[in-house]
Amino acid sequence: MSYNAALTDLIIKMADDELIQGHRNSEWTGLGPVMEEDIAFSSMAQDKIGHAWALYRILHENLEGKDPDKFAFHRPEKDFKCSHLVEMPNEEYGFSLMRHFLFDHAEAIRYESLVDSSFEPFRILSKKVKGELKYHTLHANAWIMQLSQAGEESYQRMQEALNNTVALAAGIFEPSPEYENILIAERIYPGEAALYQRWLDRIYPILVKASLNLPDMKTITPAYGGRQAIHTPYLRPLLKEMGEVFNLDAEASW
Amino acid sequence: MYGGGYIFDEPNKKQLREEEQHDEPEKLAAFEERIAKGEKIEPGDWMPAEYRRQLIRLIEQHAHSEIIGALPEGTWITRAPGFKRKLALIAKVQDEIGHGQLLYNAAETLGKSREAMINDLLSGKSKYSNVFNYPAETWADVAVIGFLIDAAAIVNQVANAKGSYGPYCRALERICYEESFHLKQGHDAFIELATGTPAQRDMLQDALNRWWQPIMHFFGPPDKVSSHSEKLMQWKVKMASNDDMRNQFLDAYVPKVWELGLTLPDPALRKNEATGRWEYTDPDWDEFFRVINGGGPCNAERLQVRKWAEEHGRWVRKALMRPAERKTFPAA
Amino acid sequence: MSNESLDPRVNRLKLGEAGEIVKVEEGENWNIYEVFHQEKRGAHHEHVGCVHAPDPQLALVFAKEQFGRRKKCVNLWVVKSADILAFDVEDEDMFANNLEKTYRDASGFKVMEKINKFKQSK
Repeated sequence: MSYNAALTDLIIKMADDELIQGHRNSEWTGLGPVMEEDIAFSSMAQDKIGHAWALYRILHENLEGKDPDKFAFHRPEKDFKCSHLVEMPNEEYGFSLMRHFLFDHAEAIRYESLVDSSFEPFRILSKKVKGELKYHTLHANAWIMQLSQAGEESYQRMQEALNNTVALAAGIFEPSPEYENILIAERIYPGEAALYQRWLDRIYPILVKASLNLPDMKTITPAYGGRQAIHTPYLRPLLKEMGEVFNLDAEASW
Repeated sequence: MYGGGYIFDEPNKKQLREEEQHDEPEKLAAFEERIAKGEKIEPGDWMPAEYRRQLIRLIEQHAHSEIIGALPEGTWITRAPGFKRKLALIAKVQDEIGHGQLLYNAAETLGKSREAMINDLLSGKSKYSNVFNYPAETWADVAVIGFLIDAAAIVNQVANAKGSYGPYCRALERICYEESFHLKQGHDAFIELATGTPAQRDMLQDALNRWWQPIMHFFGPPDKVSSHSEKLMQWKVKMASNDDMRNQFLDAYVPKVWELGLTLPDPALRKNEATGRWEYTDPDWDEFFRVINGGGPCNAERLQVRKWAEEHGRWVRKALMRPAERKTFPAA
Repeated sequence: MSNESLDPRVNRLKLGEAGEIVKVEEGENWNIYEVFHQEKRGAHHEHVGCVHAPDPQLALVFAKEQFGRRKKCVNLWVVKSADILAFDVEDEDMFANNLEKTYRDASGFKVMEKINKFKQSK
């Protein structure tokens, strides 16, 4: 049934994004620039992974999906539908902060749109994560503002980070050629094009306040492909590492 | 009156330090009486220079142990099997950084800045718990650390929480509360492997065998060779002898290992029911001192990783420095 | 040092030379803010510790996770440590309660005694 297939596709995209973003952010746990920030960033990594878990559970309970642990830790790369943005390695903290800023606003807008979804589990989940996402975007905004106003080097780093992430972030909103119309018609969510527009409206004024230049988005080629399981070279080693222990014996209990 | 606790280089602060150098029998007597009565010493109080020095050393080492202790387990965050283990491990490592934060703050109330302590850690001048200089080679190591090393740390911290210095006790109160979660999740992961497949059990037994000696080292050298602890015990800086704490740990946790049908690599290990004390083969104390002095398998790597973190965070910290602001130490 | 760790998480870091000196500058961990925690609406804010932060806004952002992530919490205050004013420890004697100031205590007023006396006198 195409309704279920469409819904499943959307949930996997959302969940895989959350899992991989959370995984990348958790790589900073214990190694952050200052202890207080280490703690804050780690909480948000936990929240992202928690959101992924919740989404895989929805899949499991409502759409005949596999057990969440198996689905996340034992699935081949070709079945992952995360965006390229979240796959990228951390490199510098500026990159991670900018990715956090762009991703979390996109995520917040997506969950806001699910408050009146026709799919009940989405409505419940969107209420549950609202407070967390409020903190995540507050944290991201605070850092973007502070570091872009903290001298030349810091400003340059943040502008460079924005330049390096914006096309990747636009790739979050890669629409599904097969399912987009069904999901909109069934009032599951408003569709990627609408979310993309809302996202730009949300981040633009913050970037202006931070004196950062958002490139003309019409000239940008969004990094599409992730939703069609075409991935960057960074995903495969990440998945191998993530499943290393679990896949010693995927039938065992860990 | 004072503003903001201790202030860098204020003359009255220096004066205080000089005062402490002199023998002040009256103040010392009042100080010791206060401790004997079970009262806490607070940052602004008069204290003997030696008390201050020893406390800074103790709390600082404890703080370093938390942030270095985050590394062996931290290396398994990206590999933890399944959502629950992954989230619990991230939360645990996060707590350890949080504990470091609380402890550095407590040490700062005694007049040494966080930056100075970090520098002493990076240069090797200041030590941290030896146990973190060993590698966490498999997932079972994470279970052993989470269960037994945390259990050992709790024995130590519960004792220290009854000490005499207020800010340290308050930090420990919260730390002990969080440690009970660590212990529980560690025990759970430990049991999961112990009751799992034969391969999982083997993995756990192997980890136990490798970690036993570092665990026996954890509480430090035996009382018969451990020096200068009498005064520290009177001042309630040190709350229990090394051997007493080791015995308490063995008493509580060896049975929990044995009940799962696992073994510990010491044929002499047994409780003497007549004395209530545990008997064991003395671990290799030469190795203990070798590792403390930098010769352990991971000493260099641990510091390298910390240096990496400090270097990569530097531009973030420097961008937001406010050199014109008056720097203070925590109030309490 | 060539990094021979078995650990991919460590390997990824591409560590530098072992002998390299890394030093943190004084003030690099910013200034200190005291944190006050409110457990539930209607309760007092209580001092729970401090955070290092470059300004009040980030101090609050940091305090939220360091002091609000486990214990129940509905709000927090942060204030720069330097702005806290307190008495010297030596001035503790100012707070000693004078035994004769019973007029400040409920126990200093023997209402029932008077009522009983009045009743008995009837």
